[in-house]
Amino acid sequence: MPLMQTLSEGTYLNMGVVQISLTNLLIIVLMIVVFVLALVLPFPHSHDETKVAHDVRD
Amino acid sequence: MSETEQQDSANWTVGLRNRIVRTVPPGQWLPDRQPAYVRSWIYVFGVACLASLIFVVGSGALLAIKGAAWWHFSSLGHFINSMHLWSVELFFATMVVHLWGKFFMAAWRGNRALTWMTGAIAFVGSIGTAFTGYLSQSNFDSQWIAGQAKDGLNAVGIGSQFNVLNSGQMLLWHVSLLPLIVGVLVVLHIVLVRRHGVVPPFDAVPDGEVAAK
Repeated sequence: MPLMQTLSEGTYLNMGVVQISLTNLLIIVLMIVVFVLALVLPFPHSHDETKVAHDVRD
Repeated sequence: MSETEQQDSANWTVGLRNRIVRTVPPGQWLPDRQPAYVRSWIYVFGVACLASLIFVVGSGALLAIKGAAWWHFSSLGHFINSMHLWSVELFFATMVVHLWGKFFMAAWRGNRALTWMTGAIAFVGSIGTAFTGYLSQSNFDSQWIAGQAKDGLNAVGIGSQFNVLNSGQMLLWHVSLLPLIVGVLVVLHIVLVRRHGVVPPFDAVPDGEVAAK
């Protein structure tokens, strides 16, 4: 076993002055997907939750 | 005002109790009912962020008990260290989604500017705390990051105030100073959220106008 294991340098995408690792790009895309899903997916609730609270403070 | 009431008003304990009740009235601390528009996944991320923070602090406390080098020679230490790392990753991911949601809702509306500001500053403080965590790994990675950070901080003129190459100083910042600042900001943020409630959507019609229609 080597004394020090060499790490993979990873895959980088270059677009002019912008350089980003493929992993970081995928994580950012995944977070945006999660954000959009959080907006569009219906939130589960029981059928007897029909009353609406009116104690909102503005 | 009776003599007893005058004595009560001068009592610090009574004053503090009254102040707490005025700040967040009873029933608003842990409400069991929320407005209908809170029924959305986007509101889950703030709570998920808070839950992650509990894991961050818990795993960090265990690492503090056993020492910064524990995870290098113990499989349990490695597991706790990984739990600390991944709860931090979840903490940031959920916090950023929470931030996006609140930004596009303009959540500072309705006298909620301080709620927005405490959240934003807590985010910046969390980044500083995470960076000092990378400096506390006690390995070649932390040495390399410290070297890069030293150049960056010197370039912006604040390198004379603290030394990122001093691992002892950075470890103390990571486990005491910065968590204290972030903790106070998070508590303030939650108190303000409870005090002012969740911001209504842009098209929400106030109760009075609904009754008028």
